[in-house]
Amino acid sequence: MKIPYSKQDQYVYTALRFFSLVVVCLLIAIIFQLFMASKLAFDEFGLSFVTDDFWNPVDDEFGALAFIFGTVVTSILALLIAGPVSVFVAIYTNEFLPKKIASVLGLFVELIAAIPSIVFGLWGLYYLAPFVKNFLAPFLKKYLGFLPFFQGSSFGIGILTAAIILAIMIIPTITSVCREVFKSIPNLRKEAALGLGATKYEMVKIAILKPSFSGIMGALVLGLGRALGETMAVAMVIGNNPVISSSLFSAGATMASVMANEYAEADSELHLSALCYVGLLLFVVTFFVNLMARTIVWNNSRKSKR
Amino acid sequence: MTNTIALEVKNLNAYFGDFRAVKDINLTYHKNTVNAIIGPSGCGKSTYIRCLNRIHEEVEDASVKGEVILGGKNIYAENADPVEVRKHIGMVFQKPNPFPSMSIFDNVTIGPKLWGEKDRTKLEEITENCLKKAALWDEVKDKLHQDGTSLSGGQQQRLCIARTLAIDPPIILMDEPTSALDPIATVKIEDLMNEIKKEYTVIVVTHNMQQARRIADYTSFFVLGDLIEHGLTSDIFTNPKEKKTEDYISGNFG
Amino acid sequence: MKISRKRALKNYFFYTCLILSSIVVIIPLFMVFFFLLQKGGSSLSLDFFFNNPKPVGEIGGGMKHAILGSFYMVGLGSLIAVPLGLVCGVYLSEFGKGKIASLLRFTIDLLTGVPSIVVGIFAYLIFVVSMKSFSAIAGAFALSIIILPIVTRTTEEILKLIPKHVKEAGLALGLPRWKVIVFIVVKGSRSSLMTGIILAISRAAGETAPLLFTAFGSMYLSYSPDEPMASLPVQIYNYAISPYDDWQKQAWAGAFTLIIIVLGLNLFARFYFVRKDIYRSIKKLFTRQTKD
Repeated sequence: MKIPYSKQDQYVYTALRFFSLVVVCLLIAIIFQLFMASKLAFDEFGLSFVTDDFWNPVDDEFGALAFIFGTVVTSILALLIAGPVSVFVAIYTNEFLPKKIASVLGLFVELIAAIPSIVFGLWGLYYLAPFVKNFLAPFLKKYLGFLPFFQGSSFGIGILTAAIILAIMIIPTITSVCREVFKSIPNLRKEAALGLGATKYEMVKIAILKPSFSGIMGALVLGLGRALGETMAVAMVIGNNPVISSSLFSAGATMASVMANEYAEADSELHLSALCYVGLLLFVVTFFVNLMARTIVWNNSRKSKR
Repeated sequence: MTNTIALEVKNLNAYFGDFRAVKDINLTYHKNTVNAIIGPSGCGKSTYIRCLNRIHEEVEDASVKGEVILGGKNIYAENADPVEVRKHIGMVFQKPNPFPSMSIFDNVTIGPKLWGEKDRTKLEEITENCLKKAALWDEVKDKLHQDGTSLSGGQQQRLCIARTLAIDPPIILMDEPTSALDPIATVKIEDLMNEIKKEYTVIVVTHNMQQARRIADYTSFFVLGDLIEHGLTSDIFTNPKEKKTEDYISGNFG
Repeated sequence: MKISRKRALKNYFFYTCLILSSIVVIIPLFMVFFFLLQKGGSSLSLDFFFNNPKPVGEIGGGMKHAILGSFYMVGLGSLIAVPLGLVCGVYLSEFGKGKIASLLRFTIDLLTGVPSIVVGIFAYLIFVVSMKSFSAIAGAFALSIIILPIVTRTTEEILKLIPKHVKEAGLALGLPRWKVIVFIVVKGSRSSLMTGIILAISRAAGETAPLLFTAFGSMYLSYSPDEPMASLPVQIYNYAISPYDDWQKQAWAGAFTLIIIVLGLNLFARFYFVRKDIYRSIKKLFTRQTKD
């Protein structure tokens, strides 16, 4: 029964390597499958799939531009809303609030991240959408109606509502990364700025925001990565209508939402394959966005260590 | 007189990658003695002591050449198992490091337990014995099931010594065991070394010359990986043969 | 020296922004809770927990089948992903060098960032296509892909917190490396590992997208892994977008139940913690999708 100890360690190591390889191979197999499943649509539509904006399951004609448009517009809009708010909250919790209150606010923000997407969707469908329809849209129309973004009538569900939900959902991500970034700045620098007679605002600007610019960028890109792939909440409030419209009040659809809506019902093979193609595109895009975020954050943390 | 030899080091060299940190050491340690290793920081004394129980090779890129003879067998021989070696040569580290989320009792008994001792009364016996030897029993006997990390630094270090004693190795290595402790805790550890040398052979690295003088029977002086001088502690401190030793001891460098 | 008016104003404006943002952030949280309590709480009844759905038009019926289905699939998914995740995490933290380790790390990073709907497609392609039917096992597999990277990353981060000299002390006791890892490193971190695992499971319990076209959903109670199975999130989704008042009410009750399960697990895991440093490193993983 006695196995020499060095052998024992070797067996364990081999077993660990084996399981790791299994995981790696599994992912490779899955990605391969995804490519294979998209092949039919790729052969049919090629790269023009990305630039065509018709999506017609009845006639088996597919182009994903409207979904890409919807995804990009909702995500960017969400980022525009969530970005400043998150940075402010991160500054407020890190630099201004007493520790106890800060940890409570921090916990609340994290709890937002824990709420399932479907619950946000339900809330968005029944409460946010009517709110947008009855209050926000008329308000925006009254004061900013001259812009093309705020024209037409709002039915509540649409791009604007989806973007607001997305913004709420990515705030915890951005806030948390920003807080980490701000924490890495030595106190000495903040005190030095205050010592020069700077107001608190000037101190934040000089000693916190400027040096952590790239870190904040990384946080935003990470938030973007999340927003791009968010599915259920968006699918429930965006209206799922693949049109490209300049108005934020109009219904739309995103890459994730179309998959959620049509996958289980797709019966033609080409339709399924087109959905896989959309999935593949989403996978590739989020992969590169996350890679970018990681590179930025990583560079930043390396810089601050120096 | 050969039966009094505890450990024999022959042409020992230690490397980090290509860098030779310890150079051609030849030393003999006798049973039931305390042997101190002193020298300026970065002189390879820690690396050297880590070679004696084959912990050095756990560091990445590290390697060892040479022989260390324990009970007539070379621990660096091809068929020697480092795990077996370490059971016979225990080690206490610079920082007190009780195992996390483990009670005092578990900390002391984990060695024997994982070596196959299952009898509860036997384990309790070992615990009491070792904690007594480590002069910790009276302070912790009522709280054996508290977390080991809840003790003070000095107590933690004595717990680590008890943990090492529990596997009953004839030789105990100590790598600057008091450098993280306050003077009172240090005195306790020093008394302890004096006590346990009745049963064990102790090899201790220290940054503190006075400590070596207080506790050691023999002292070796290292500079940059070279053994400069080895001898009776009294000789080294009062009548050093080498100029470098004299300079170091009188505070001219180091 | 007096601060000029302009500077003081700017400072004042800045403060206002900070406070406003912080209020704006927590408003949705409270609104979601408020409406869940109001709508969900009022639609809850014992029927909801102990009955399966009834045909449209009949009042009553509940989500027993979906609640049990969720537990079934989350449980099955954890059974696959938790041990595998622990193993991968141990491998990365203790032997994290070399080609296979960096491949694994890359894989895990990639999986962390994959949108959950794409995870659903993965499971669909592997199971549903080959079995030619929606199935609980496909759903469980999808959930395990959600859990795996989280458990792996938390395990790696937690085990890395054990100082090197503690591991060396274990080796110095004459223990083989695997015993040091299992009985000292992993056992010593068990409470924080549990926390990471529970947080991962709570995340999976709330996921809808990966189940939509893997487990699909059903209106019956079923325990067979090769048949479609209902789950709480999918059932909520189907009811929420239905035109029937009664179903919509049930969707709210379901959402209320879901959030109690998910947040309950989440908060339980958080306050299970004693050590702040571990807490922080895990927290990072949950709000941030990638490695720094």
